[in-house]
Amino acid sequence: MNPVLRTEGLTKRYGSRQALTDVTLTIPAGRVVGLVGPNGAGKSTLLNLAAGMIAPTSGTIQVLGARPAATAAQLARVGFVAQDTPVYAGLSVGDHLRMGARLNPAWDGALAQRRVGEVGLDPAQKAGRLSGGQRAQLALTIAAAKRPELLIFDEPVASLDPLSRRAFLQSLMEFVAELEVSVVLSSHLLGDLERVCDHLVVLTASRVQLAGEVEELLAAHYRLVAARGALDALPPAVRVIHAEHTARQSTLIVHDTAGAVPALVPDAERLDLEDMVLAYLTRAANASVTGNAEQPLEAHR
Amino acid sequence: MIWLTWRQFRGQAVAALAALAALAIFLVALGLRIRNSYEANVACASCSADSARDSMENAYFGILLLSGLLVVLLPAIVGAFWGAPLIAREIETGTHRLVWNQSVTRTRWLAVKLGFVTLAGTVVTGALSLLLTWAASPYDKVFDGRFEPLIFPARNVAPIGYAVFAVVAGTTIGLIARRTVLAMAITLAAFVLLQILMPTVIRPHLQPAVTETVAFTASGARGLSISPAGEVRTEITKPGAWVLTPEADVLDAAGRPIAREVADECQGGGPGEALACLEAKDLTVNVSYQPADRYWTFQWLEFAVYLLLAGLLAAFAFWRVPRGLS
Repeated sequence: MNPVLRTEGLTKRYGSRQALTDVTLTIPAGRVVGLVGPNGAGKSTLLNLAAGMIAPTSGTIQVLGARPAATAAQLARVGFVAQDTPVYAGLSVGDHLRMGARLNPAWDGALAQRRVGEVGLDPAQKAGRLSGGQRAQLALTIAAAKRPELLIFDEPVASLDPLSRRAFLQSLMEFVAELEVSVVLSSHLLGDLERVCDHLVVLTASRVQLAGEVEELLAAHYRLVAARGALDALPPAVRVIHAEHTARQSTLIVHDTAGAVPALVPDAERLDLEDMVLAYLTRAANASVTGNAEQPLEAHR
Repeated sequence: MIWLTWRQFRGQAVAALAALAALAIFLVALGLRIRNSYEANVACASCSADSARDSMENAYFGILLLSGLLVVLLPAIVGAFWGAPLIAREIETGTHRLVWNQSVTRTRWLAVKLGFVTLAGTVVTGALSLLLTWAASPYDKVFDGRFEPLIFPARNVAPIGYAVFAVVAGTTIGLIARRTVLAMAITLAAFVLLQILMPTVIRPHLQPAVTETVAFTASGARGLSISPAGEVRTEITKPGAWVLTPEADVLDAAGRPIAREVADECQGGGPGEALACLEAKDLTVNVSYQPADRYWTFQWLEFAVYLLLAGLLAAFAFWRVPRGLS
């Protein structure tokens, strides 16, 4: 089975601004992938490249084994919901479903009607009068009812209130269970991702910092607390992501690619997803401020 | 895709059809009235050609000029209100990101949208142009000014070329400008600029003009003027032709411009006598013109020039759209 996304040296520049730098990434099929990063990290750029909305400056990108948006058949295999979930303000909910039916050969009209009913959308209502949450539900329904193999969402919940956000993610997970579709969604809301994702890509400052299965990543990251200086000599397979020092004590967050930590530090503490991602985001934030990735972060707290 | 295009365009199409129907009724009524006066003034046994021309001109010059302006400006309106928002509004509201992710390639999306609206603009403009051509035909026959800058572009096939160009230009400008109002303004400005350049700079050179030396005759000259510097000039008329030298020097038999004293000798008496007096002096004028039988050549050339420009702009849009924005 083709990976849903494979990129090699993928780079996108807007004028002199580097939006994405040398991203080499493979995402297997059948996952719900969370794409995390601060604003401006390149999440939207990566997803828009995957949807074929923009073309790369250099490097290659393949989605489901083919060039994005190259043919109508390829478009039919990918459902993309852009940031702010655009809909035609002057067209009704029913018109949007008719549009979906006319423009997508594999359109699942029954599914679309059922979903619209379940989330309480009135088919006669103009899409311009929908709330943000309703609009997101409509966009999700259109993308899912074309029965794609891959659904891509660019910050689908960023502008929603907590209730709509939960309802949207609930709908998304129902679609995933029902349609056996792979999903890539970007967000800077770590709590949401923790709930739905089983694969993670961390993107900061236009580069991929971390990518992999959530469980494997969590199993390889530790928080080490020890007397200051006791952890200065770690084996090379244990990478320090983040370090905090007080006068007597050091707290390190490390990525252990060789399984060396349990033997070394028996009481090493596992991280949850939020702490792990935050360690990477903090490192990148510090690097961009000071140009030095090893800088401790107390100053930025 | 046709359904979506129609669904988005429906309101404007209905409004356009209503306006077209009203204008069609007006033009048909005008055409019938002109035919009645033509019967009364021109075809009658006792009427003179000059008085017929004058009475027709008095009655219909203004209304036909305004109708002609409408036909010339209609493509500009179509280009600005239908063409310019076609892509610009989608980009402005972000909906291109919705429609570009349905199972339809962007090339097909553009082809259907652009084709549909171009066809609509062409039909509306073409219908009005042909109706006006029909309505004004008795007048045009009497008036003899088919190449006039405000008549030529409002008759026959030229307006159809303008309509195709205006819609395609509006669409392509919208794709580049990405803002509806800006695209509308640029489209209008570009169209008006081209409509000014065309009759003044471009159209006269679409075919090499015929230049010849003709004898100065009282019947072939329309008035006489003497410039402050003393140059004697006249305007030569040629039935049905497009005279490109409205102010030509009057020359003597050797081809030198005549002195004003020569003209002064013929002063006194009526204007007709003065011209007859000059005719007797064996003078000539160099006249440069496009012959009357080139009318249709010019109509089709005008049509082709605008179609070619439209084709170039469309080619750019079709090259640009599949490459995505940004």
